[in-house]
Amino acid sequence: MNRRVVITGAGVVSPIGIGVNEFWQNCLKGKTAIAPIPAQWERYADLRSRIWSPLPDIDPESLGVARAERLQLDPVTVLALGAAREAVEHAGFALKPAEERSRNFIVSGTDASRAGVYLGTGIGGAYTFLHNHTYHLQQRARSLLTSYSSKHAPQTDRETLESVLALMSHGPRYNPFVVSMLMPNAASAAVGIKFSFTGPNLTYCVACASGTVAVGHGYKDIREGRLDIAVTGGSEYLYDEHGHIFRGFDAAKTLVHDYTDPETANRPFDENRSGFLFSQGGAAVLVLEDLEHARRRGATIMAELIGFAETFDAHSMMSLAPGGKQIERMVRAALTDAGLAPGDVDYVNAHGTGTKNNDETEADVIGRIFGKSVRVNSTKSLLGHTVGASGAFESLVTALSLRDGTTHVCKNLDKPMCDLNFVRHVEQCDLRVGLSQSFAFGGHNAAVVMRKFS
Amino acid sequence: MNVNAQQRVIKVIADILNRKESEIDLEATLRDDLQASSLDRMTLYIALEDEFQRSMPAEEVTELRTVKAIVDFIDKKLQETSSA
Repeated sequence: MNRRVVITGAGVVSPIGIGVNEFWQNCLKGKTAIAPIPAQWERYADLRSRIWSPLPDIDPESLGVARAERLQLDPVTVLALGAAREAVEHAGFALKPAEERSRNFIVSGTDASRAGVYLGTGIGGAYTFLHNHTYHLQQRARSLLTSYSSKHAPQTDRETLESVLALMSHGPRYNPFVVSMLMPNAASAAVGIKFSFTGPNLTYCVACASGTVAVGHGYKDIREGRLDIAVTGGSEYLYDEHGHIFRGFDAAKTLVHDYTDPETANRPFDENRSGFLFSQGGAAVLVLEDLEHARRRGATIMAELIGFAETFDAHSMMSLAPGGKQIERMVRAALTDAGLAPGDVDYVNAHGTGTKNNDETEADVIGRIFGKSVRVNSTKSLLGHTVGASGAFESLVTALSLRDGTTHVCKNLDKPMCDLNFVRHVEQCDLRVGLSQSFAFGGHNAAVVMRKFS
Repeated sequence: MNVNAQQRVIKVIADILNRKESEIDLEATLRDDLQASSLDRMTLYIALEDEFQRSMPAEEVTELRTVKAIVDFIDKKLQETSSA
């Protein structure tokens, strides 16, 4: 017999707020974080897009990550640990030190062997890889060139050499922890270690669908009785000193390139959309729990998860299959999994990237399945695209929208590309069932279905 | 001995090993008295480089046996730089 699965806690580190309350209030205010890309990135390439959505300055200690831990972790893992710590505490679990002088915890009132971690990430510790690769590649060459420039180079060449040396900048060392920092499973492992959870510990690496797939698989394992608790979600860190990751998306012509007015440039589902807004990253974590387990400990319930499905396009590494056949099959399967019909759904949190191709296919599929009354918004219109974390942010927004009976606007939607019921105003409304969907490079499609808990 | 550097070394060791500064005795051995694992000593090496903004040989720093040996090593490093 299937068990009921509820969301009892959440944690967030995002460009528009740290902590669930700040994040959600800022979502409802339509807050965004838009800035010019770091100036040094433009020394390495001529870039088409030149804006991004940066994270606020974050002190890892404020996320509960000590100096000794930070030195051994990629930022993607620091973000995940911060969001997970908030989520577990928000769920009302008491944390006890695992042992003397340990920075890890035992989570009171749980069977650690029935608690798991399911996190998504698109690129894992790519920052660590690039940061250390630069050192590996440049350090000796730069040292030789520095010596030549100062001792032997003709005066006339020194200015050029100094420019070259400036381009060859690198970090202070090759970090001895590089392997465990860059491995994609580092964030999931670090969260499992932090809370001494010995159940399944999994990393889902399916690009922009990673967060949704992670939430979905955590949900399934609780529903089917393998677990009582799953810490699920996604984490991503897309910054590097030389703008390499940004350049990859820019070269693929996926990023917003019409930024005459940077504040309104990111406009999913608008006729004048020109690509997605690159985000520095972030993390969103949800604590999923067996309903009876949550009731026994008197937990506050945010929303109930009732369905999940995933399909694969088998079409292209970078483009959605025209017509969205596998997306439609996935959404219908998620509804069947939830025991619902399309007419039961009040709200769709769209993938909504702002690229021509995504929004066209997605709007078409939403219209075909749900008609024109279902409310639709794109959380990426506020955050930009956080890739492997995006599905987790959007699952969280779906849960909060159901809890509060309101949701955020689809920002900068001046000329909607079609007549779907896009959210244009924040207002109280009857939201009983919501669906959050994600599509990814590679061709992965996934959705979770939730309902208001009562 | 540079008293300020000594205090900073003790603070770094306390931070990395999650101990109180008062527990860090100059004569204490890292491995046996402070129970620092090889990973702890590797982390300590990174933290010392960051703290003193000096490049240090990992092999040498991670093999230093006592708190005093680290303080002496750092003291020497600082003197090398200031006299350079």
